[in-house]
Amino acid sequence: MKAFLIDLDRCNGCYCCQLACKDEHCGNDWSPIAKPQPMIGQFWCRVDEEERGRVPVVRVAYTPSFCGNCDECPLLEAAPECVSRNEYGFVVIDPDAARGRSDLADLCPHGFVFWNDDLAISQKCTGCAHLLRNGWNEPRCVDACSTGALRFIDEDGDADEIARASHAPGSHVYYLNVPKRWIAGTIVDRSINEVIIGADVTISDEQGNEVARVQTDWCGDFRYYECDQARYQVRIVVEGYESIELVADCRNGDVVFDDIFVIEKN
Amino acid sequence: MRLSDDTAVHNLGLESFGGGANIVAVDALDGKVARIRPVHFDEDYTKEELNYWKLTGRNGTVFEPGMKSYTPPFPLVYKCRTYSPNRIPFPMKRIDWNPDGERHPETRGTSKYERISWDEATRIIAAEIKRVHEAYGPHSILCQGDGHGESKAIHTPHGCMTRLLDLCGGYVMQARNPDSWEGWYWGAKHAWGMDPVGQNTHSTNTAQDIAQNCDAMLYWGCDLETNSWGWGGQQASRMAYWFDECGIEHIAIAPDCNYTAAVHADKWFPVLPNTDAALQLAIAYVWITEGTYDREYIQTHSDGFDWFEYYVLGNDDGIPKTPEWAEPLCGIPAYRIKALARYWASHAVSIAHCNGGSYIRAAFSHEPARLEVYLLAMQGVGKPGRISIKYIEWILFGMSSCSPLPPSKVVPNTAACYNGPLIGDMDCFVPKCLVHKALRGEEFSWHGRGTAANGRADQFEQFSFPAEGEPGIKMLWSDNPSFTTSLNGGNEFQDALRSENLEFYLVEAPWFEDDARFADIVLPICTKFEVSDFGTDNDSGQWSAVTYEKAVIDHVGEALSDWEAIQEIARALEVHGGVYENLWMRLTGGKTAEQQIEEGYAACGIAEKERDFEAFKKRGYQLIPTVEDWESQLVGLSGFADDPDANPLETPTGKIEFYSVPLATMWPDDEVRGPVAHWIERGDGHDDRLSSDRAKDYPFLIVSNHPRWRVHAEMDDVPWLREIETCKVMGPDGYAYEPLWVNPLDAESLGLRNGDIAKVFNERGAVLGGVRVTERIRQGVVYMDHGANSDVIVAGLGGLDRGGAINHICPTATSSKHANGEVTSGYLVGIEKVDVFELAARYPDAFARRGFYDPSYGADVRDYLVDGKSCHTSLQAEEGGEQ
Repeated sequence: MKAFLIDLDRCNGCYCCQLACKDEHCGNDWSPIAKPQPMIGQFWCRVDEEERGRVPVVRVAYTPSFCGNCDECPLLEAAPECVSRNEYGFVVIDPDAARGRSDLADLCPHGFVFWNDDLAISQKCTGCAHLLRNGWNEPRCVDACSTGALRFIDEDGDADEIARASHAPGSHVYYLNVPKRWIAGTIVDRSINEVIIGADVTISDEQGNEVARVQTDWCGDFRYYECDQARYQVRIVVEGYESIELVADCRNGDVVFDDIFVIEKN
Repeated sequence: MRLSDDTAVHNLGLESFGGGANIVAVDALDGKVARIRPVHFDEDYTKEELNYWKLTGRNGTVFEPGMKSYTPPFPLVYKCRTYSPNRIPFPMKRIDWNPDGERHPETRGTSKYERISWDEATRIIAAEIKRVHEAYGPHSILCQGDGHGESKAIHTPHGCMTRLLDLCGGYVMQARNPDSWEGWYWGAKHAWGMDPVGQNTHSTNTAQDIAQNCDAMLYWGCDLETNSWGWGGQQASRMAYWFDECGIEHIAIAPDCNYTAAVHADKWFPVLPNTDAALQLAIAYVWITEGTYDREYIQTHSDGFDWFEYYVLGNDDGIPKTPEWAEPLCGIPAYRIKALARYWASHAVSIAHCNGGSYIRAAFSHEPARLEVYLLAMQGVGKPGRISIKYIEWILFGMSSCSPLPPSKVVPNTAACYNGPLIGDMDCFVPKCLVHKALRGEEFSWHGRGTAANGRADQFEQFSFPAEGEPGIKMLWSDNPSFTTSLNGGNEFQDALRSENLEFYLVEAPWFEDDARFADIVLPICTKFEVSDFGTDNDSGQWSAVTYEKAVIDHVGEALSDWEAIQEIARALEVHGGVYENLWMRLTGGKTAEQQIEEGYAACGIAEKERDFEAFKKRGYQLIPTVEDWESQLVGLSGFADDPDANPLETPTGKIEFYSVPLATMWPDDEVRGPVAHWIERGDGHDDRLSSDRAKDYPFLIVSNHPRWRVHAEMDDVPWLREIETCKVMGPDGYAYEPLWVNPLDAESLGLRNGDIAKVFNERGAVLGGVRVTERIRQGVVYMDHGANSDVIVAGLGGLDRGGAINHICPTATSSKHANGEVTSGYLVGIEKVDVFELAARYPDAFARRGFYDPSYGADVRDYLVDGKSCHTSLQAEEGGEQ
C-alpha cells in the first residue's frame, strides 16, 4: 500500500503540489486511467491554509490534503462495477464505466471526488498511476515538492514514521508535526519602557493543574505551543511586581495577549 | 501509454537580459505542452561528476545541493501562459490611429483594435521609422526595452529593437532603474561600496559561516518565499529551513507577516512602512549610550562615525534618537526596540534580504539602506556569524561572490548569441523613472545613468535630454508594456502615453495587458517552447547550467519571437534604401538560430575540453561542477574584518563611510540625501508620514511587495494561481479583484468585511481591491501587491482602475531629487467601501465593454478587438469552451 506522508513543519505554502497536479491533469487525457480535469474547480491535491494568531504572533498553517484512499471508502461499496483499488492501494474510478455516475462525487465525505459536468464523469486522484506504471517513482505532487514536506511511502516499509504520524481514521494520508494551539504574550514594565526578561509564566488547565511553566525571553516574550482546544489559566510572577492572572481561551483559536504591563509592588 | 513524444529543457526564470534560472523539463505530446516538471540531475550525473558539496551546521544538521531542480510554482503553471486566451493573436492596429491622417492620441487606452497582416504591420512600422528619422532624427525613438520578460538570448524579449535601430543611426534607451535594489543602490553604495547594486557582494561561504556562528538572522523586509520564485527557485526556502534547524532565531521585520514570516519567523517586528530608519536610529542610540557597539572595529574599519554619533545623540537638531522618539514614528514600542538592540549587541546577528518591498523602494530608501550598513559596521560585520546575505540572485551579473553557497567553477553566459542590449551600456538614454517627461516632450536633466549595472561614481555625472537642437521623443517602441502596473506614477504615465507629443506607439508583446492597450500598433510575440534558444541557469544555488532550449511546439497564433519580428521589420525597411540598405543581412549576419545556439555554447565560458555540442543538444542541458577547493575560499567579508587595509572596500577610503565626502562635496545643500543618513520626515515631492496633514484624507500607509502569485506584471492570467485563496477575491459582481489586506481593527472602524470591494485612493486616483481582513498586516497599514493586470475605467491622473494595479496611484517623484529610484510602496492612501453595482451604473460603457472577461483568467484580448474574434486555441477551448 502506497501512502502520503506529510511533514507540516516543512510545508512552505508554495502550492506546487496542487499546481503540478493541475499541470498533469488539466487538458491532458490519460485514458483509461484518468480523463482531463477541468481547468478550474477540482482539487485532487488541495492545499488548505489557515491564518493563526494575532499581531505580532501570526503564522499560516498550510496543509496539503489528499484523498485518503480510505479503508472504508463508500465508493467501493456503492459502485464496485466502476470503482476499484489499484495495485498501489489507490481507490480509482474507471472513467468509462462510471459515466453519468454523479452520485459518486456525493459519496465521499471528505470532498475528494469531483463531478465533471462536461465529461459527465466523477473524478479523483489516481496517484498518477499512469506515471507510476511508466517508470515514475512518485506522483507529480510529490515530485514537485522542494522542501521534503511530501513523501510517497510504502506503508509497510516506513512503519516507524507512520507510528509517529497522525491520520484520519482509515485514511492513508499521514501527517507529522501537526501544530497545536498556542498562548503568547510579552511582559513589560511600561513605566520605564523595559521588557521583563526571565519572568515566570505558569499555564494551568481549567481545573488548576499545572500544564507548563515557561519563562520570558530576551524580548520579554513567552510562548507555549502545546495547547489543546481548551481554556487555560496563565499566571505571571515577576519579583517586585504585582502578580497577574489571565484566562487564555484556546477553544476557538490561538491566544495572543496584548502586551502585558506589570506594576511594581508598593 | 505515451506520456510524451518530445522533451526539452528550458529555463523558466524571468531574468531576461540573456540570463536565466529555474530550469525545468518540458514534455510535449502531439504538438502540445503536456507537462512541465523538475529536472532530475541524478538521471544524467553522478554526485562525483558534480563535485557535490555538503555544509554542516553547529548542531550537525547538513545542507546539500540536492539532485533535482527545486522548481517554484511559476514554471509549473507556465503552459497556462503559453496558451492564455489573452495572447495577442495577430498584428493589430488601433482603429482610430491613422498614420496618414488623424492620429487621435487622446483615445489611446479606449479605442479598439483591428486585425492586420504582418506585411501591413511591418510596412506601416517601417514607414513610421523612416518618417520619424527624416523629420526628427534617430534620437526621437525611445526604446522601452527592459523588464522581466522571459529568459531568452537569441529571441530576447527585451531590447531586440535596439540592435536594429543601432544600424540605422541610433535610438534613445530607457535606462532601467535598479528597481528591486533602489535604497541599496542610491544609499548603501555610498556607505560601503558593493557595486553595482549596493547589496553585499562578498558572500562566499557565508551560509556555512552563518550555520555555525550566527545566533539570529534579521529578515529585514525579506520575503524569500515569494521573491525567489521568479528568479531562482526553492533552494532559498530549503536554506531558510536549514538555518531554522540550526537554531538560528528568525526575526522578521516588516509591516506585513509576509510569506516567509508566515512559516519561518520566531518573532515579527511589525514596523510601519518606510519607517525602518527610525527603528535603526533608535537601535544605534541604545548602542551608543550603553557603549555596546564594537568601538575598536569602528575605529579601524570606518570613517566619519563621529558625525553619525553627533546626529543620533541629537546634537545637531536637538532630538536624541531614543527608542521613545522612534516608537510613534515606526510603530514598534520603545521597550521592544531596546530589547532588540541589546540582543543584537550581545549576539552574532546577520541580516537577510530578498530584494523589494517597502523597506527598499519607498521614499528616501537610501536612508534605511545606509543605516543598515552603519548598524552592521557597529557590530563588526565580517566577523563570524555577522554578515548580510541575499536569498536571491546568487550569481548577480556573473559575480559568484554574491552567493552564500559553493559556486560552480564557471559562470556561463549567453553573450555570444544574445540579441539584446546590455544594461548600463548606452549612448543616449533617459532614466526609466523620468520617462514620463520624455514622452510629454519636456526638457529635463538628472544625475547618473542610474541602471543596475553602473558604479557608485556614475551617480555624480550630470545628463540632460534632449540634446541641444534635437526635438525629443516622438515614437515609443516598447517590448515591455507594463510600466503603469510595475513602475512609478502609473496614472501619470497613462497621460503621457496620450500626449500629443507622442506620434507613434509601437508594442510587441505576447499578452494583451496593461499599456499594450494604449499602443497604435501591436505585434504578437511568441513565448518559450515556441522557439529554440540557448540559455543559462546561474541562480539555483545548486550548479550553474547551460540549456539547449529546443522548441517543442509551433508558434501560437501568428506570433513571432522578438528577434524574428525585428527581422521582418528590417526587411520592410530595406525597401526604403539608404541607411536601411541591406539591413537584414547587417542585423543577422545571415545566421540561423541553430548556428547562434552553437556559437553561444562555444563561447559560454565552459572550457573546450568540457564542451560537446552534440551531447549537450541531446541531453538539453549541461551542469557545471562546483569549483574545486570551494572550502578554502575566504568567508564573506572576513578579509575586510581581519585586515581592512589589505582588503579594502570600494569606497573612497576603502572603509565603511558613515560620512560620504563625495555626497557632501557634490551636493552640500541636499538635506534629503546628505552625507550622513538621517530620518527624513518629508521632502523632494514626498509628504507621506502618518503625521502629515495629508494623512487626514489618506490615513493609511500602503505596502506593495513583489507579488506572491505574479512576477511583477506576469502570470496574472493563470487560472490555477487565481484559484488560490490569497491570489484573488471574488466580488459580488463575479469579478476577481486584487486582494487588499486590512487589519481587523481597521476593518471594523471602516465597516469592511471579507469579500467587500473597496477603493484605495489618493490625489492621483483610485484602484479597486477585494478586502481580506487579516492579522497578517498591522493596524494603520494596508497591503496590495503591485503588478495586477489593469482594467482601466478612467485613465490618467485622477483615474480609476478595476484590475487593482496599485502602482497607478503611487508617486511619480523619485527616491529623492538626486536619486532616480522608484517610490512604489510606503505612501499614504485612503480606503473606502464601494458598491460595484453603483460603479457599474456610473461607468456603464467601461464596465460593459468586458463581455469576454472570465474571472478564471481575467482579461481577454477579444474585448479589445472590433469584431471580438481571436484566432488561436487555448487550453480551455479544448475542453469544449467557446473560442
